[in-house]
Amino acid sequence: MFVARHIAADHKDLIHDVSFDFHGRRMATCSSDQSVKVWDKSESGDWHCTASWKTHSGSVWRVTWAHPEFGQVLASCSFDRTAAVWEEIVGESNDKLRGQSHWVKRTTLVDSRTSVTDVKFAPKHMGLMLATCSADGIVRIYEAPDVMNLSQWSLQHEISCKLSCSCISWNPSSSRAHSPMIAVGSDDSSPNAMAKVQIFEYNENTRKYAKAETLMTVTDPVHDIAFAPNLGRSFHILAVATKDVRIFTLKPVRKELTSSGGPTKFEIHIVAQFDNHNSQVWRVSWNITGTVLASSGDDGCVRLWKANYMDNWKCTGILKGNGSPVNGNSQQGNSNPSLGSNIPNLQNSLNGSSSGRKHS
Amino acid sequence: MEKMSRVTTALGGSALTGRTMHCHLDAPANAISVCRDAAQVVVAGRSIFKIYAIEDEQFVEKLNLRVGRKPSLNLSCADVVWHQMDENLLATAATNGVVVTWNLGRPSRNKQDQLFTEHKRTVNKVCFHPTEAHVLLSGSQDGFMKCFDLRRKDSVSTFSGQSESVRDVQFSIRDYFTFASTFENGNVQLWDIRRPDRCERMFTAHNGPVFCCDWHPEDRGWLATGGRDKMVKVWDMTTHRAKEVHCVQTIASVARVKWRPECRHHLATCSMMVDHNIYVWDVRRPFVPAAMFEEHRDVTTGIAWRHPHDPSFLLSGSKDSTLCQHLFRDASQPVERANPEGLCYGLFGDLAFAAKESLVATESGRKPYAGDRRHPIFFKRKLDPAEPFVGLASSALSVFEIEPGSGSMSWFVDTAERYALAGRPLAELCDHNAKVARELGRNQVAQTWTMLRIIYCSPGLASATSLNHSVGKGSSCGLPLMNSFNLKDMAPGLGSETRLDRSKGDTRSDTVLLDSSATLITNEDNEETEGSDVPADYLLGDVEGEEEELYLLDPEHAHPEEPEYVLPQEAFPLRHEIVDTPPGPEHLQDKADSPHVSGSEADAASLAPVDSSFSLISISHALYDTRLPPDFFSALVCDMLRFYAEQGDVQMAVSVLIVLGERVRKDIDEQTQEHWYTSYIDLLQRFCLWNVSNQVVKLSTSRAISCLNQASTTLHVNCSHCKRPMSSRGWVCDRCHRCASMCAVCHHVVKGLFVWCQGCSHGGHLQHIMKWLEGSSHCPAGCGHLCEYS
Repeated sequence: MFVARHIAADHKDLIHDVSFDFHGRRMATCSSDQSVKVWDKSESGDWHCTASWKTHSGSVWRVTWAHPEFGQVLASCSFDRTAAVWEEIVGESNDKLRGQSHWVKRTTLVDSRTSVTDVKFAPKHMGLMLATCSADGIVRIYEAPDVMNLSQWSLQHEISCKLSCSCISWNPSSSRAHSPMIAVGSDDSSPNAMAKVQIFEYNENTRKYAKAETLMTVTDPVHDIAFAPNLGRSFHILAVATKDVRIFTLKPVRKELTSSGGPTKFEIHIVAQFDNHNSQVWRVSWNITGTVLASSGDDGCVRLWKANYMDNWKCTGILKGNGSPVNGNSQQGNSNPSLGSNIPNLQNSLNGSSSGRKHS
Repeated sequence: MEKMSRVTTALGGSALTGRTMHCHLDAPANAISVCRDAAQVVVAGRSIFKIYAIEDEQFVEKLNLRVGRKPSLNLSCADVVWHQMDENLLATAATNGVVVTWNLGRPSRNKQDQLFTEHKRTVNKVCFHPTEAHVLLSGSQDGFMKCFDLRRKDSVSTFSGQSESVRDVQFSIRDYFTFASTFENGNVQLWDIRRPDRCERMFTAHNGPVFCCDWHPEDRGWLATGGRDKMVKVWDMTTHRAKEVHCVQTIASVARVKWRPECRHHLATCSMMVDHNIYVWDVRRPFVPAAMFEEHRDVTTGIAWRHPHDPSFLLSGSKDSTLCQHLFRDASQPVERANPEGLCYGLFGDLAFAAKESLVATESGRKPYAGDRRHPIFFKRKLDPAEPFVGLASSALSVFEIEPGSGSMSWFVDTAERYALAGRPLAELCDHNAKVARELGRNQVAQTWTMLRIIYCSPGLASATSLNHSVGKGSSCGLPLMNSFNLKDMAPGLGSETRLDRSKGDTRSDTVLLDSSATLITNEDNEETEGSDVPADYLLGDVEGEEEELYLLDPEHAHPEEPEYVLPQEAFPLRHEIVDTPPGPEHLQDKADSPHVSGSEADAASLAPVDSSFSLISISHALYDTRLPPDFFSALVCDMLRFYAEQGDVQMAVSVLIVLGERVRKDIDEQTQEHWYTSYIDLLQRFCLWNVSNQVVKLSTSRAISCLNQASTTLHVNCSHCKRPMSSRGWVCDRCHRCASMCAVCHHVVKGLFVWCQGCSHGGHLQHIMKWLEGSSHCPAGCGHLCEYS
């Protein structure tokens, strides 16, 4: 059961991204008003804006946190063709007394010639690495060789995707059996139906990223893409936000069977596809264990998806953006039979079934 | 008014037609200007000066004004302007400071009309008076503006900006005598052409040069200025002081700005460097361009709306030597592409959701997705100009917090904190963990623990009630399977097991009646190899030094053990996992030397049937008299662990792995185990469960994991008396033979945790100092310092 807590964000234009930090106690928002805000959760559960600053000279598309091992570090990317890395400054100052923290720009990554549409830190075990993608179809991977020096980043890889990129996702698996992997989505809307999701894998031998797979079935513009947290799974789960929500599993085919040195081959299955949003799906986000997927679409609703023990994905909840009850009409095709205001319980048991509960 | 009507006639009643198109020029363009008939455009540059006719499908070169054998500097144009009243009249600003007028009506090939060589440096801008046929204005790098009457040979008046250089001059469209000029130093000046002595008004508009300005075609008071500071500002000039009414933030310095016809709030900009695109902004939404034209491959140098009353055709010239006509409906619209929502799953199951307010508005009768979202907004705007501006968007941000107890991640935290992973016999661990899981309402997990206990421990210890509860997956496939198998089938599978396991296996595969004797055999076996029935780890314990005993805390002792489980093995403190050795090869050299706590329980279990053979026979005889060896289940258990891991419950996988230890470890490959461990540790750290995480690291058998908490753990201590590093022990100095760290409270040597005040450097045992500071805020050493303890 969810309780909506509204926050007066006070951004002067659209908010394009929200992001929780590693411990879930801080939140960052970014907006077209060119600013990023950092919110800290108080003891009482309220969110307080502790920093708000102008980060770019264009819309800020994405904001993301680095692993706290590297400090309190944020990365942002913008329409102004840059990505930037920010660090919170610890120290006594007037700002501190007013409950405000101070963030300084550590670096600006200016390699892109077009809007930088996404930025993501690599999983911690890879070190301090950052991937960006841009509208000109290039994924760039940067590394800070010295984790103590956030102002020095070297461009390690440039991967050409041929299509205007809109989103990227690192495979979070920490297993040695899984090479570093990055999925790229494209929102190219040109009519030629090319596959919009490409997956690149790092090859130890060539020390380059090479295309491992292309999801041929996704031909509509992709707005968001997310690998599920991999907590000891042998395979990967990838959620794609396009004109509907899709969930894919990627099972690595055993290395011995493929030619050694080449990219890993995957058995790709689409395990779920939902058009319940009735419109473009803009965002997908996994819960911490990779068992529940949240998606949001043009209908202004957040929908929660969960698999049962048969690997059947079902809707387990609908949340209306303003906290008001969900209109029965917008629920057509939903697996949840009860109409009216319901916000089903999130099950934590393994056999998740949707049990509707009345929401006041 | 008169002008208005003439323009409409020029339009000829028929609307403009055309498409997005471009043509290649021979050289980079510096400026363009459109003829008032909207059918011709002039392109001027350092080495180009041509007139093109704009046809429906293409540009057609009509006239090359660059004539003559040797190119004159007078032809190197910085700016060009076509008179808006006279189709034959053009003016250019040359880079050498000359202002040239051109009369297209001249019969000769050379159309050059007049030459004004009054400026000393490059002329940046020329401008015709909007309603007066013969008045031309120029602004130059030399800091002067000059007004020419084309009927005279030289300038009528000269205006001095008292500043370095003039970047732009523009006659006001509505005020006959007024013009605005912008300067390199960031100022904007307003002049009356009748008063050349001083400007009417001056204000600082930008940081750095103001490259351009444009008067609003309808609103007489509005002036848009663009500068190197990447901003476009709209000023209301009607008030006493120029008031900034809008400010647009672009991504690069603004080279040109042009109001869009018929759209009160729209203006087009292009940049001087870096950015090659042309943007159209709605000044009320200052952060996101309403439209974007991306055709040019180099800097756009000139933009012009094709017709003063048509908002859909924009012409542009560029350094990439192309001339383009852009159609507004072909523009890309960043607003439409921009993601209107943000969504993030929090750690505890809460969701942060930001969405465009119009999407989440309660009564938003939003139409379902209809294929094309890219309906151009300007059409909508044209349909109903009175429609209030809808472009300015804001987002609603909310966090959906999951209510405690109703499916948040609290089960994970509770489970992690309450599970017992080591330090007790296996049966007890399983029982404890099953209880924890049941109390948290995780019945399947509880069932699994119970089953593990049944599989790996003596059956007598399993309570009858918990067996009756075995209705889950395990009971349906596990137990019947066990009964249906013939022992003979099992034998080959056991052949490859280690010796200890084999002996145990034999014990269990015999009938209950033989149990005690079989156990005796086992014991004899052990005696032969190890000299006693003490498990192999004892040997490892034996080689440890004694001195660590003092300050190392055994977690095992924290759990009070129930008397019935006190078996001989437990008398020996299990210290192997806290051995202070680096994770070197010798640490893991032999699988038999398990550094695992619960490894010793294997033997405890193998002895147990002797004690409890009664209950076996009496209660669950039928089930257990053909008991299979635990090894038989290991494949099943491994599958179960994988199942949990794939279901996202890596906690269960790792917990079972640790509790069962050696029993299942060999059946799961190192990489998978390591993956589980790292995943679980990462999760624990997310929830700030540092102690549990450390315990897991400590109990892990994988070398890559167990070294995780051994990196940078060395503390270098210097003697507080002689300042020498204390190499061998932490509390006695080898050189001065004094005890370095005395507790200020009890005056004994501190051998474990030493806490000290950073102000006066006195300190002592953590407990003592804590207790002391509860009662007093002064330093216990009596130095008078007010110590701070946080």
